Amino acid sequence: MINSLPPGFIMFIGAFLIPFLPKLGRQVYMIFLVLLSSFSLFNGFGTHLTINVLDYNFIINHSDNLSLPFAIVFHIAAFITIIYGSHKDDWKENIAVISYAGAAIAALHAGDLFTLFFWWEATAFTSVFLILGGNTMRAYRAAFRYIVIQVGSGMFLLAGAVLFLYTNGNALLGQMSIDDTSGLLIFLAFGIKAAFPFLNGWLQDTYPEASEVGTVALSSFTTKLAIYALARSFAGTDILIYIGALMTFFPIFFAVIENDLRRVLAYSLNNQLGFMVVAVGIGTELAINGAVAHAFAHIIYKGLLFMSMGAVLYRVGTCKASELGGLFKYMPITAVCSIIGAISISAFPLFSGFVAKSLIMSSLGYEGLSFIYFMLLFASAGVLHHSGIKIPFFAFFAHESGHKPKEAPLNMIIAMVIGSGLCILIGIFPSIFYQILPYSVEYQPYDFSHVLSQLQLLTFAAFAFICLWHFKIYPPELNSTVLNSDWFYRRMFPAVISNIVDGLKILNEKFSLNCFRIFNTIKNFFHNIMFENKVIDREAGFDTQIVLQIFGIIVFILIFIHLK
Amino acid sequence: MILLKFIKKFGKINSIVLFICILLLLLEFVGHRHGEFKIEEFLFFPALFGYISCIVIFKVGVALRSIFMRDEDYYD
Repeated sequence: MINSLPPGFIMFIGAFLIPFLPKLGRQVYMIFLVLLSSFSLFNGFGTHLTINVLDYNFIINHSDNLSLPFAIVFHIAAFITIIYGSHKDDWKENIAVISYAGAAIAALHAGDLFTLFFWWEATAFTSVFLILGGNTMRAYRAAFRYIVIQVGSGMFLLAGAVLFLYTNGNALLGQMSIDDTSGLLIFLAFGIKAAFPFLNGWLQDTYPEASEVGTVALSSFTTKLAIYALARSFAGTDILIYIGALMTFFPIFFAVIENDLRRVLAYSLNNQLGFMVVAVGIGTELAINGAVAHAFAHIIYKGLLFMSMGAVLYRVGTCKASELGGLFKYMPITAVCSIIGAISISAFPLFSGFVAKSLIMSSLGYEGLSFIYFMLLFASAGVLHHSGIKIPFFAFFAHESGHKPKEAPLNMIIAMVIGSGLCILIGIFPSIFYQILPYSVEYQPYDFSHVLSQLQLLTFAAFAFICLWHFKIYPPELNSTVLNSDWFYRRMFPAVISNIVDGLKILNEKFSLNCFRIFNTIKNFFHNIMFENKVIDREAGFDTQIVLQIFGIIVFILIFIHLK
Repeated sequence: MILLKFIKKFGKINSIVLFICILLLLLEFVGHRHGEFKIEEFLFFPALFGYISCIVIFKVGVALRSIFMRDEDYYD
């Protein structure tokens, strides 16, 4: 029975013992849970657990070539996050991290829409505590917005699942179409969590408000779960190519002007999701491999970047570019790990980003999608600008900020070193990495053309940044808020609703006043006739004029009829 | 001597990056570089594309500051 439980389930349930354990015991226990859960990955492909309730089969544990790579990397991310957060004595955060990771892993093994819905919502309700862990008023408000949006996504999924069941007689999680209403609803549910354009505000709004550990955990699971769900149900849906291209394109400009470096990473996360969405939209075996490889590599290097910025936040107390700089001297290991993460995300050869992104770019080439290809190439230069250079440069170099912090705690360093090692290993041994991808495709990322093109693109983009900085064209970072799509529900909708309410109030007052006047006039009229028996004063000629007008119209109509 | 003066003025790391850039351009003549699309085979295409993209991103980003940038406590 234990063997047939989905991976992650034991982490989700086991989390509830955490409050009763001492601090050190908690960390060991959490790692033990992750290891125990990872054993279920060796069960092999197929359906391992189905529960029949009211004649409906809930497919609780289904594993295949698509869920496996995601499950592996989710376990790695959970393991790294636990080590990274082990300096803190916060059992509430421990529960949130392990149950959130467990729910996300279990969601990967859902074989039907209702089981997916359960875990979908479980990831929302467990992860919101990570944002609350930010322990600021901004974090509390962000957490409220986060849960509303995440539950909203769940509601779309539930509505779609019910409709799908009603239409098809089953609710199996398989290929769907956005031409059906049920498919469209499910597509929207996935789209919210995958941070599609205009549905992305929650990501940049909430992730940077969590604690340093919380953001690392958040960056790994929710959005990648959505990518997995899209790959499972909407692979080859053309519109995803254009949605993904927009996702890669727009966040780069926002990331350039953003001052909070963790928020810059959140924009960058959105941009990276775009690459995966494009690959899912293409839908070929090579492209799906690219989406999965990119998600895998991305979880590690993005986690590494968030970990390095979290270490800075932990030691300095801020992550604002305008207040940081010159930390390399004081936090050299963190800086080196951050640079490795930055090089990986920029997709330099010999690092993980290169071997993953190459699959997507090549699949675009094979399909002849030139416009999208060049959009993504442009976005690649943007990634180098905001994640590859801006993050390490403004935190660890640029100008002296006056901060003289200690190096990050040992546990954080260990976690970052593991992440850095994986980024390099994946980059150096792509053939081993490719073996865990869903389809066996022969692909060689390291050829002369490809390596030279990528190096030229990135080095010259870096040189452009150097020129801008050296010749003092690059403007200073400013303390600011950058408006994003969350502005619609944080400012515009409340303002519109409050204006409508104000307008209705004024209308109501005017209407009441006029009703009162009319009522008074009628009352006075009847009062005068009935009780005082007066001849009502009237302007002579007014009524006569009306009668004459009516008479004139009648005559005119009669003449008109007669002439006809 | 002129080179040393240049390195001093431009900075060591910046000069190294510039040197690597020149090296990468020269490598173009060593072997045949091809791309996914025909236009990529144009001489120094990735270098030009990377340089221009970065400048465009910077320019657009700076222009967007006036539209999307608000005070830090805008939502508070």
